[in-house]
Order: sequence, then structure tokens, then C-alpha cells
Amino acid sequence: MPEFTNGNIPVVTGDTPPVRGKLVGQDYATPDMVAKVTGKSKYSEDFRADGMLFAKLLLSPYPHARIVNIDASEALAMPGVKCIVTKDELPGAADYITDLGEKIEADKRSDVGLAMEPMYQGEPILALAAVDELTAADAIEKIRVTYERLPFVVDPFVSLRPGGPNARTDGNTWARPEAAPGEEPGPLDVVEVKWTEEDFKEYAEGKMPMGKPTDEWSFGDVEEGFKNAALVLDETFATPNTSHQALEPRTCMAYWQGGKLFVHVGSQSTIQTVPAVARWMNMSEDDIVVISEYTGGGFGAKIRGTVQIVIPAILARKCNAPVMLRASREDEHNIGGARPSVTGRVKCGFDKDGRITALDMYTVADNGPYARNGDYSNAATMVSLLYQPPAMRWRGITVLTNTPPRTAQSQPGGMQGITLMEPLLAKAARQLNIDQVEIHKINAPEGKARFGPPSGAGAQAYTTSCFMKEALDSGAAMFNWKERAAASGTRNGSKVRGVGVASSTFVGGSRGFDGLLVIKPDGKLYIQTGVGNLGTGNYSDSQRVAAEMMGVPWEKVVVTWGGTNKNLPWSCASGGSQTTHATTRAAHAAATDAIAKLREIAARALGGRPADYLVGGERVYRRGGGASMSLAQAAQRAIAMGGRYDGHELPEDINKITATSAKNMAGQGLMGVARDNYDQDGRAFSFVAAFAEVEIDVETGSYQILDFLAVADVGTVIHPSALGGQILGRSMLGIGHALGQKWVYDQHLGIPLAKRFYQNRPPTILDAPVKMQWGALNIPDPETPVGARGIGEPPVASGCCAILNAISDALGDEIFRRAPVSLDMILTSLEAGKPVTEPMTAHV
Amino acid sequence: MAVFRDVMPAFELFQPTSASDAVTLLAEHGSDAWVMAGGQDSFDWLKDRIKRPKVVVDLSQVSGMSGVRDLDGGVEIGAMTTLTTLVGDPLIRERFPILSEAAGVVASPQIRNQGTIGGNISQDTRCWYYRGGMPCYRAGGNVCYADTPTAINREHAILGADRCVAVSPSDTAPALVALDAKIVIQGPSGERVVDAEDYFIGPGIDITRMHVLKPGELLVAIRIPATWAGTDYYFEKVRDRPVWDFPLVNIAAVKVVNGGTIERIRIVLNGVAAHPWRLAQVENAVTGKPADESTAAMAGEMSIEGAFPLRHNGYKVPLMRNLVKRAIRGVQEA
Amino acid sequence: MSDEHDPQSKYVPTRRDLIKGVIAAGAVSSTGYLFRGSITRAFAAAPGSVERMLTLDVNGQQRRVDVMKQETLAMTLRYKLGLTGTKLGCDRAECGACSVLIDDVPHYSCSVLTHSTRGKKIQTVEGLASPDGTLHPVQQAVVEQQGFQCAFCMSGFLMATVGFLKTNPNPTRQELAHGISGNLCRCQDYDKILTSLMRGAELSREVNNA
Repeated sequence: MPEFTNGNIPVVTGDTPPVRGKLVGQDYATPDMVAKVTGKSKYSEDFRADGMLFAKLLLSPYPHARIVNIDASEALAMPGVKCIVTKDELPGAADYITDLGEKIEADKRSDVGLAMEPMYQGEPILALAAVDELTAADAIEKIRVTYERLPFVVDPFVSLRPGGPNARTDGNTWARPEAAPGEEPGPLDVVEVKWTEEDFKEYAEGKMPMGKPTDEWSFGDVEEGFKNAALVLDETFATPNTSHQALEPRTCMAYWQGGKLFVHVGSQSTIQTVPAVARWMNMSEDDIVVISEYTGGGFGAKIRGTVQIVIPAILARKCNAPVMLRASREDEHNIGGARPSVTGRVKCGFDKDGRITALDMYTVADNGPYARNGDYSNAATMVSLLYQPPAMRWRGITVLTNTPPRTAQSQPGGMQGITLMEPLLAKAARQLNIDQVEIHKINAPEGKARFGPPSGAGAQAYTTSCFMKEALDSGAAMFNWKERAAASGTRNGSKVRGVGVASSTFVGGSRGFDGLLVIKPDGKLYIQTGVGNLGTGNYSDSQRVAAEMMGVPWEKVVVTWGGTNKNLPWSCASGGSQTTHATTRAAHAAATDAIAKLREIAARALGGRPADYLVGGERVYRRGGGASMSLAQAAQRAIAMGGRYDGHELPEDINKITATSAKNMAGQGLMGVARDNYDQDGRAFSFVAAFAEVEIDVETGSYQILDFLAVADVGTVIHPSALGGQILGRSMLGIGHALGQKWVYDQHLGIPLAKRFYQNRPPTILDAPVKMQWGALNIPDPETPVGARGIGEPPVASGCCAILNAISDALGDEIFRRAPVSLDMILTSLEAGKPVTEPMTAHV
Repeated sequence: MAVFRDVMPAFELFQPTSASDAVTLLAEHGSDAWVMAGGQDSFDWLKDRIKRPKVVVDLSQVSGMSGVRDLDGGVEIGAMTTLTTLVGDPLIRERFPILSEAAGVVASPQIRNQGTIGGNISQDTRCWYYRGGMPCYRAGGNVCYADTPTAINREHAILGADRCVAVSPSDTAPALVALDAKIVIQGPSGERVVDAEDYFIGPGIDITRMHVLKPGELLVAIRIPATWAGTDYYFEKVRDRPVWDFPLVNIAAVKVVNGGTIERIRIVLNGVAAHPWRLAQVENAVTGKPADESTAAMAGEMSIEGAFPLRHNGYKVPLMRNLVKRAIRGVQEA
Repeated sequence: MSDEHDPQSKYVPTRRDLIKGVIAAGAVSSTGYLFRGSITRAFAAAPGSVERMLTLDVNGQQRRVDVMKQETLAMTLRYKLGLTGTKLGCDRAECGACSVLIDDVPHYSCSVLTHSTRGKKIQTVEGLASPDGTLHPVQQAVVEQQGFQCAFCMSGFLMATVGFLKTNPNPTRQELAHGISGNLCRCQDYDKILTSLMRGAELSREVNNA
């Protein structure tokens, strides 16, 4: 049973004792809560500046066109209108020089914020600044734009047909050109790929065509695996395009002061937005200040702010006034990013016990018109880990379409890949007469589990640790699975109940970031972080590791975040389930550095060797009693000693941004500053098992989720209530993909039909399961000093698929071939006795 | 095709304090004027900059246009009465609980706090092509974008379509038609009263409007006669999300069942046609019959005769059939 | 193929509209007053004509403010009165982030004309805590329970809850969920939100019964 849950579950710990201290593993109120509940917390749109202008965007009415002419004379003549900006005036993507001096060439075809060849309906063409929004809006309508319309496509399979339209004039997918033997393949390029009529011969039956892919890999003997299978399934399934729809639109306010550019913007990474803006603006990082104290949700679409920051920045320079680009909800649909739909065909063999013998997977993604989105490929990597096939082949292609640009969204690719697999796994269990939890367990990864394509030497990468089976067992016990599974499918009047289980995984952490803290002579511990504050609690939670290690009570910790003018270190972004792993390591590194320095200071002041001293209870004290000094005294001494003790000398391996911040703080006290250089055997992944019970009304097709449980293998629990919020919150995001969230585009017109919430349907509080519970195993990851991994991504697919599997357990396999599963799909399939909504048409 | 869909354009605002002042203003400004009740439909049109009235006549300050009062055993409801009021009003709950129930499933709590019964039954369709600003029949053009081979028309009409395939999105409208309500309209030449059933019109009568209000006219009150006070009823709204979403199909039925036999009944659905769809033939056919499964099955099949689904809304046919069955025999328990 | 984008007839602005707000975080001082009229044609004699200068009762204070005819309450609060705790998530009555109380009843301030709130009591999230800083019991509960994540939806949820509790001070979990169902959270932390607001209801009862 998990140790951490939100219910009254008995506490039982595993063999490895969990980390639980005075701070780590305890609930507390994060320092920003009072500002949030009183409305004092400032998000990007809450800032005002003297003489602030408002910008509005002129959007393309066509899915693909070339701008022939723009006549803004009438608009510019209006009182109150200040200026306009078009793509020509944007700096364009600049090349990037890495810390090692390596040049990464900018892709000249990337989205720079404005376009002269708009490639989706709603793409911004120009921006106009005026004294107020009404003037800006009225002026936008006075601008005459002449367009030359170009061919367009919004369905990947339409583009792959022989003679099908391309989304870009230069092609319809991304690929590396084939290399001559012995040579490295060149960089990714836009190319044209068309399939044959022969490839499409099963299309009308709802079976995904599998023409020439752009990417493929394999391991093991797939054909042999199918030969040895007791059951082989071949299923086509489609997942939806879904906007991120953070509740805070990507508003940005920018102004120039003393040659520096100040931007107020919501971002998942305060510090990493600086180099991003520097590249977009082709400026020095030293001249950019990012203010991002509170971010109203990101989910992957605000990792480093957003490229549209350049619009108010350029307008502000041109007009010599602060400019706010207040993004509307419709702007969010256009420029806010989205998860790409992935259509997949999976052929999977099982032995009689349900163990997978071979897996052959093909994924086709709806890429949007710009940079290559990696979800089609991630999908296969996650599937290879989660179900541990002994032999697997993956083929895939991401197809350019004239729809808004895609961006990583919570569990990118993993969500889609696992959703292609889970209904198939549940179907196999039914056909083989195996319990649903058992079929997940027999295929589950454990320990140092291998995944992904083999490297050049033929070896696969592997995880740091994995307790998927334990999560499934704990969850099954908490959910009372066996008893409820036995009753699944029982009809009560027009209502049928079903239960479902699903597993999920995603990368659970990155590393190599910096920690920065200072103990000042006031005895307080000042900790800096460059992570974005999205309310996950991370900006503060991870610092409790440092406080715990140094024995500093939380009341004496001051966390600084949210403005790059506040001496922040180079930190991980808040996203991708990277953060808890990365930031606890950075905090651990900085605290370890500070502790070493404290012991040196004490030894020098009080005699003995540093190893004779320990740090705790706000003091440095001699082992076994005797001389000690307070942290405040040690801080005073550190200043007197200077050098590396107070930050005048810095480690050479820290990021230059951290170094600048540390230099600014030098001399203020004892500085702990270090890069996370901890070794790691394997890659960190987190795992979730989810369970759901649904009740379906077969006369209307509508259904309600009665009960939901998710149990996570996420390593050491740092902040239980925040973790619970992540597990259930991200499960709900996945549940939304099962219930109804999707894009709708008209194929003929190439225009979005579902732009409003009531049309694309993010889940409401009444869509949430009547009862929700979470649990966490709290087994520390052995490959990271604090034992903690990230959690934001893995619950998404398991949330979605527990619902899908519960529906099919109640009604059988002949109901759906795509997600979301809306009531019309259930009703018409029940009526027809087979799935009526086929998977092959995009945007229905 | 205008593409800018943000920020309300400027308009002149009038906030009359009496219905007669409002009618005077409407007469003065004619087709330049837009009547705003709760505004929950109006703001969409205005913020989208598709409808551009020069003058908005806001009824929020008009006195005497909201509230519920007894009227010969029935009720009179001011057109500006909020949906929340109807949910909780003791008189409505006692006599016409079907209306409370219908009002209670409209949109969201805040919209029910602001939205009015007059607005709810006079709101425009939610066809996403029309709302998206496409120059369709309803917008004065000569094409229906929702009825093409590639159109996405999951939420459109299966009955009564005439060039336009949009549906009425109101939840209270079918309840009022079922209750045989009367709509009180004030205009320059005085007051007129129309049956709720006649208040709502399809594209065959006027493709640009969903009700009979002419420019310059004001819906001031709704009268519900005592005929169906306190009778048995059935109401159900089927929608995607349990909050905010408009009905895919809803049904409102009032009935008197005596000794298991249906003595009288009225059944109305919405979301299937451009106006609330009354099943008069079905009502006749089931009157005098037992309120059981076989009558329900017969009524269900009869209700969908003539239904003509589009590419993506075929589910509305079994959904309508099943809801009609439920209206006759109730929801099946084990 | 070639298409021209035709401008549509528009009102010509004669003055400029008013924007007065707080200055924050390193931005420059003083605020621009930008006035803009709607239509200068005189309607003064007509019944129901409205004046642009209004006195609003916001959080117990009388605030004199110049309001455009088409202005929504959310814009007035955020851009003229500096009350930025009220958020704009959709501006279309379908997210609830802008919820405020008007005469104790929750409304979407994005979908109410400011002119229609004359003579009514408006309460925003800034008006929940006591002047001495004591948090409202619902605020207190949210702090204790770490009830929200990004919190962009939070002030709307708080106002919807406070309004709902005035009509039903002792709700079941399901009743409260229905009461605040007009508010969207995209962190989707609904379970924890509901738990914290149920605790808020409990604390509110304790305060009211004390």
C-alpha cells in the first residue's frame, strides 16, 4: 500500500525506508498563497506602465496564403494609432551559440511570431499598437490586405494521398536526407512524402494506411514474436488535437529602459526565458529582464515564454512606449500551442498468459505547419518502456498541416502512444480471459527497465528504477479491484457500470542545473530559483531540501523567484516532469557546498578538522559536543574570509547566468553555489497506475465517472498535497481527452470550428469523478540524492485510458476507435453493433 | 470575411426604466437598435464584431419586468426574470416544476444569475459556421456551410430543415411550449399575445430569425395557464459537458396519467430543429394508451419518422427516440 | 486568386478612453489618462440615456469613474480601478475567472455592462479580507489546504463560493460542486479545490456562529 494517500489508508512502507524529515514529506502553505487568495499576486496582464499602449493582431482569414500587399495608411492615420509591425521588422530566429561555443543554426522556417505567408487560419500577420484596445481593434479593421491564396490541408492523410496538397510550398513532412554510406545524415529538412493508392486500400474500412515512413527503428525479432503469439491484434486508433488552454492567456507587456528590454510574461521558466528572448530578438542576454512571478498555467505551452514576446518588444521600441499584447482566448487557440493528434496502427502479439511477444507500431501525427513535433516518435519510446515488448518495430511520420503550431503538452507523445496501446491491451485481456490488472503486471517494466531504440552499439537505454508492479498492486488493493471487476458490465435498468485500469509512464527528471543560496548574518537562509511558478509549489518545495539538510527552520528561509533582475540561478523549467528531480538535486548540491564551507569555517575558527563538524539546529557544532557557532556567526565569518566562502570566487562549471547572479550576491554571507554533477545510472522515469469506475446510460450514451484512483511511483514525496494535486490534476487533463476535448476543423474551408470552450470542451468540475483518490509509493529513487522524481506527465495517459478501458469493459470492444469517446459515439455504436465513428477522418 | 473577433465596438447605450420607454426607443432607432436583456447571447455577437448595432437598449433598469405572480391558477413571469429566480421560485416549483428544472440546467450558475427567461427563449442559434461569421443563409447569404458533404454538423438539425440546418439551443423553450405558455409582446401599436408554439419559427418562415419578434417589439412577459399546473412531467437535457454546454437534444413533456392510462400529454423536444419540436401526432397516438413500454416504443418510433440526419448527427435519431420513450414510461430502473 | 480585405464602417473616435491602473514592478511612474468618447451625437434628451461618469460601490468604497458605454465590469475593475485580482480568462462567460459579487450574487464581470451596476454593491476578491488583513474564512481554508495550483482561476472560485455560501451555508460536497460549477480550472485540481472550499464553508460557519 502506498504510504502517502489522501484517504485514511494504513501506512505501510516498503523495504527501502522513505525519506521523511521535518520539512521534506510534510504539508505546508507555500509562501505565495496569501498573495494569491487576496488577489495581490501579479500575472502578466496585471502590470501597468506609464503611457502603456495596447497591441492587437491582424489574423489571416485563410489557411494558407501569400501576402501580396498591406495597406495600413487609413489605420495609421487614425488618432491614437501609433505604429504597426510586420514580419520584415522582426529580427527572425538567430543562430544559437552554446556554452561550449558550438553554433546551432536557426531554422529559417520556424515560427517567428508574424508571417507574410500565413500557414493557418488565424495566424498573426501584423500587430498594431494604439492608445487603447478599442482604437487598436477599430484600426485593425481598416487595414487592407491583399492575399494570394495557396493550397492547404488540415488532414494528414489527405496530404499523404497521391497528389494530395502540401501544407507548405516546400513539402509536407520533416526528414533527414539520406546519407551516403559512412556519412552523417544532414539536418532535418522539409520534404514531400506521398503514399500510393495501394497503401490506402484499407482506408475505407477504418484501417490506417502504412506507406513509406520518415523514421523507423526496431529491436528483437518481430516476425518470430508474431509466430509465437497465441493472439495477434491489429488495431487503428486516433487521439485528438487538444489546445493547452492555460487559463491565463499569453499576454505580454514589454518596455525598454536604459537600453534594456523588460518583459512581463507568464513562463514556465523565468531564467530560461532570457536566452530564448535573446535569440528571438537577436540581443545580448545581459540586456534582457524577464518578470514572471506568477504564471497562470502552461502545460508545456509557456516553457520559455512564447515567441510572440517579440511583438510587444519591437512595438515598444518603435513607439518608444510600453506595449501590452493582451492575448484573447481566440488568440490562445491560434498561437497558444496544442497537442498533435496521433493516429496509430498497432499490431501486437500475446502469448496465452497475456505477455506481449511482439509489437509493430506505426504513428502518424498532425504536425501543424512549423517545426517538427516529436510526439509521433516519443509515443513509441514510451510504449517500448511501459509494456516491455521483447521485440518491437516502430515506423512513423509527422505530417505538416495548415493548423496552428503544435507544442509539447503534458506527457507529449507518451499520452498518445499509451492511448493507442491501452484499449488494445484491455481487448487482449478480454479475449485471453485474463484479469485486466494481471495483463498490465505481466507486461510491466521493473528496476532498470530498458526502452527505446537501440543505440549504434545495439544497447538500449534503461531507467534508474521502476516500481510499476507495486503501483498496480497497491492500487488494485485500494480500489478493491477484484470485487469490482467481477461486477463490471452488470446492467441496472438503462445503466451499465464498468471498471478500467491503465498504466502510464514518462521521463521523470533531468539534471545538470545550478543551486544558489546564501546564509546571511541575520541567520536566515536565502535561496534563489529561476524556475517558473505555476503553482505546482516547486519553486519553494525543492528548497525545503536545502533547509532540511542545514537544519534551518522554514520560517527562516527566504525564497526568491520570479524576476531575472533578482539574481536567479540557471534552473530547470517547470515542465516535462523534469522539475522536482532537477531542482531537488540542485538544492542538494548547493546545500552540500554550503555545509562543506560551514564546516571549514568552523574548523578554522574553533579548531580541529572540517570533518569534526556537523551542521544542524541552525548551528555548526563539533561532533560529540563542545565548540559550536551559529549560522549567523558563520555567515559573518564567511564575509570576512571572502573568496569562495562569500561568492567572490565561483566554481567554473556553473552556468554563466548563475555566475552573474552569484557575483551580484557576493559578500552578503556564506554562499552555497554548485552545479548538479551527481552521477546517475539510467534515466529517471515516473510511473502511474490508474483505476476508474464509470456508469453509462445506454439510452443516451452519456456517462459519469463514479470513482477514480491513481497511484504513483514518483520516488521520495517532497510535498504531499502538491503531489496529490499534480497526480489528480493531470489525471483530469487525461480524463478530458477521454470525455470530449478536441479540435474541429472544416476540411473544405480549412477553418477551426471549435474555438470556444463550449465547443472544444475542457472538463468542468462536474465532469470530475464523483470520488477521487491518489496514492504514492514513496520509494526513493536510488539514483538521485533526494530520491525524488517528477510527476506532471505520467498521470495524463493513465487518466484517459482508465476511463476508455472502463467504457469498453462495460459495453464491449465494439464502441470506439478514437478518443474522445462522446455520447454520440457510444449511442450510434450500440445501435449499429459496431464502431460507427471511424478513426481515419481528422477533426470529426 | 472579416477576421477581427475581439473587443466590442462602441455603441450608444440606453437604459430605459419602463417598458414603454424601451418600446419608444426601439421605435425611434428601428433596425439600428439591439435589445439587451441579460446580455449572455448579445455579448458574443458584439465582442465578435459580427452584429454591429449603433444603439443598445439595455433592459436591466426597467422596473416591473421581472418576477413571478399568480395568474388565475397559472403564473405570469416578467421577461427579465432571471433563470436563477425561476429555479427557486416557490410558485413555479409548485405548479410548473418542469420549468424550474429546465432553467436549472441552462449554462452555468453565473449565467443563470444574469440570464433571463426572455433572453433564453429569444437567443440565436449556436451553429458554429453562422456564429463564426460565415455569410450563410441565416446571415443573409445564399449557402449553408453546415450542410455540405464535408461539413461538421454533429450538433445540427434532423427535422424541419429548410436550407438552414441550425437548431434552437434553448432549454426553457420546449418546457414553455409543453406548458402551452403565452408570450406577451409589446410593440408600437400595443400588446399582442402569441402561443409559445407560434413564437418560435423555422427557416421556412424566416431564415434570419428564430422567433416572431419584429424590430421595435419587446417581449415583456410569459403567461402559463393553469392547464398543466401540478401535473406529472418529464424533462431531460442531453449534452456533452454538464455545465455551460447547449443541449444536443432535450425533451420536455407534461402529462396526466390516471390508473396507468395517459389521459393527456404534450411532448416537445429541442436541439433537433430550428424551433422547439412538438410531437402532436405522437401525443394523439398515445392518449388513452397505457404509459408502458409498448406505448413508449411505439411513440419513440413514431417520433423519428421523417427525421433526416446529416453526416455527423445520426445519433440524434436514436437519442430522440429514446428520450420520447422515457417521457412516456420514465427512466428504466432495474 | 486574389482577395481584398475590405474595411467596415467604424465609429471615428473623437476622444481617447481612460486607462488608470496600478504601476508595478519597475515600471515607470504616473498614469496616462486617455479619454475616448463613443458617439458625440447628443442623446441627452432621450429617455434612458446614460452619463459616462458613474459612481460605483466597490468593496464598500464609492469610486467615481468614467466608463465607456460598451464597457464591461471586468474592464472597469481591472483597467480603471486597479483591481487586477479579478482575472480575464476567456472574456466570454465560460471560465469564471472574472466572477465578482453584485449585490451578493456571483456574476461574470466580463459579461455585465458596468453601466448596469449603478446603485449595486460590487465585491471583488480584494474586498474579501478585513481591512486589518484578516483573511476571509474561505481564503484562510485555501491557504491551509494549498487549494489551487496556478491560481489564475482562484479569485473567481473564491467569489463564486462566497456567493453560494450566502444561499447555502452548509452544503454537501456535491451541492458545493454544483454551486461553483460555473468556474473552470485548467490545472484541473478540482478535487483539492473542492476539499479546500468545503473547509472554507466549515470555517465560515464557525466564524458566523462565534
